[in-house]
Amino acid sequence: MKRRTFIKKSTLGGAALSIPFILPSGRLFAATGNRMADHVVFIAFAGGVRQQESVLQQYLDGSQDYPSSGNIMYNLLDGAAPTDKLVYGENNSNNENVPIPKLLSQTLQQQGTLFKEVNASTVGHYSGVNTLLTGNYMYSQGLRVKPLRPTIFEYLRRHQGEKATKTWFVGNGIGNSIPLLDYSEHESYGSQYGANFLAPTITFGDDGEKHLKNAKIYHPDDELDPMYKMKYFLDNVWYSQGNALPDIGNTIEEKAEIKQFVKDMFVKKENGTVAHPPYAASGDGQTIGYACEVMKRFKPTLTVVYLSNVDSCHANFTSYLKSLHGADHAVGHLWDYIQNQIPEMANNTSIIVSPEHGRNLEPNNIKDANAFWGYDHSDANSRRIFNLIAGPGIDSNSIIGSESNGVGDIVNITPTIAEILGFKDDVINSGLVYNNNSLFDLI
Amino acid sequence: MNMHILTKIKNMKKLLIISLCFPLLFSSCKKDDVYELNEVNATSYNANKNKLKSTNQYISIVHANLFQQALSANELVEIDRCIQSIGDKQVAHEIILSNFMNKGGVIIPSDSLMRDDLDLFIEETYKRFFVRDITEAEREFFLSFFESHPNVSAEMVYMAFSLSNEYQYY
Repeated sequence: MKRRTFIKKSTLGGAALSIPFILPSGRLFAATGNRMADHVVFIAFAGGVRQQESVLQQYLDGSQDYPSSGNIMYNLLDGAAPTDKLVYGENNSNNENVPIPKLLSQTLQQQGTLFKEVNASTVGHYSGVNTLLTGNYMYSQGLRVKPLRPTIFEYLRRHQGEKATKTWFVGNGIGNSIPLLDYSEHESYGSQYGANFLAPTITFGDDGEKHLKNAKIYHPDDELDPMYKMKYFLDNVWYSQGNALPDIGNTIEEKAEIKQFVKDMFVKKENGTVAHPPYAASGDGQTIGYACEVMKRFKPTLTVVYLSNVDSCHANFTSYLKSLHGADHAVGHLWDYIQNQIPEMANNTSIIVSPEHGRNLEPNNIKDANAFWGYDHSDANSRRIFNLIAGPGIDSNSIIGSESNGVGDIVNITPTIAEILGFKDDVINSGLVYNNNSLFDLI
Repeated sequence: MNMHILTKIKNMKKLLIISLCFPLLFSSCKKDDVYELNEVNATSYNANKNKLKSTNQYISIVHANLFQQALSANELVEIDRCIQSIGDKQVAHEIILSNFMNKGGVIIPSDSLMRDDLDLFIEETYKRFFVRDITEAEREFFLSFFESHPNVSAEMVYMAFSLSNEYQYY
């Protein structure tokens, strides 16, 4: 297996990595493992995806009793596209549906390993993404509450000493309590190890245009410095009375970088130069475009992108198909962008794609304009998902598991990210994850 | 016999009272100094703030403070969404507030007015933002800070107070 070869070959590099150093917190740090790549991009894809329309490639045959099957995710998966009743593309000038052209010359499946049948025991959006990011089934946790167990961002920052701007969580919107997932309430981790969250469709959307775009950029030395000194004094007085606010620990320089990034994005938006996918009409497409910009600017060690447009499946199956097709295009663009536009991350980044849950086998009673039934997420079929991983040291063109032989669980994602970035032992030793296995351990 | 004893006791009591009161006759003539304090209504050190403002409360209060007028409900929702869309809340607040500062209508003393009476300015700023009196230690810090930073403007002071952690509480 390639991973083993990789580990053997990287002994020397590992020795160098294992030299202890002092973390920003002052704690002595010794790396516990070798990195397979220096960057990971994890796509929480894309708001509840049925196996039938994704890896099983049944298109309308598996949902609407219409005999047309095929692959509408041809940047991620191998397989020929449907040829009949195409409702999933972008509208052209004649208002006809035209499938988006394939973007990647090699599918991610060809470039990596596909876990074809994976278990996801939670079937809610927030609980699903929470599980993906914490490696725990948070059955007892309600909505609108921060995770009770540490997130992968916190493990990474605490055990690897990464700066705040090296961990990003880019979400398609602020619904479903998604912004709460940037850090947990766990006493040994928490805000000081959190990720930088961004919901770009809002920050750079209509609301942001109105309330963020015209922000004054204060001079760092003449204005910001004395302003921060006064604030520091005021906060110290307040802190002396035992009051402190959660802070994800961006330094003054990092805060300045983020503010400049926001300012620059408005300029790029106005000039039409944001790194959006060629077809980016949807929120997911827009989100991916800004995620590309985040990566280009900050070169994060870990970027998590949450896409959610396919959730329209509850009431509009046609929109669901379009969103699924669009999300595939967007992820293909992101991978292509990393390899061709961000030299620091090219060939040094792993990608992981995993839906937060599946969707029902049986439809609900809502029909869309094409008379297609909608699908919720509550039955056993909702616990069926796929995982896809690609990057340095990961087997290419490999399929693990099948419809009748499931391999993998949604809780394996957190250890997988940790293993790629070389700190899986720290995560396991914390004793706070549901399962110690990464996806690599299941191959 | 008994009557005689009783009369004797009464006389002795009288003598005792007179002898005890005798020194008072002289001492009562001496006028003591009397100190009186004017009543001052002072708010406590932290003004009993122990509840964190919600984003909506923070934004509507800071807007009312800076513009002396209420924010519309629509704008409040929009700004709340903007703040939720950025994870680092200090960064989000700073961008929102600096956007406010770029708008017309912020009621803020001129820099010359501020420099005319720094003592009064900082006292009023504490009352305006923190709803409490300044302590002597705080006064000393700011007066010395203003002296060593002659280019600090009233806007910068207002930004620092608006962004401070104490202002997040009520």
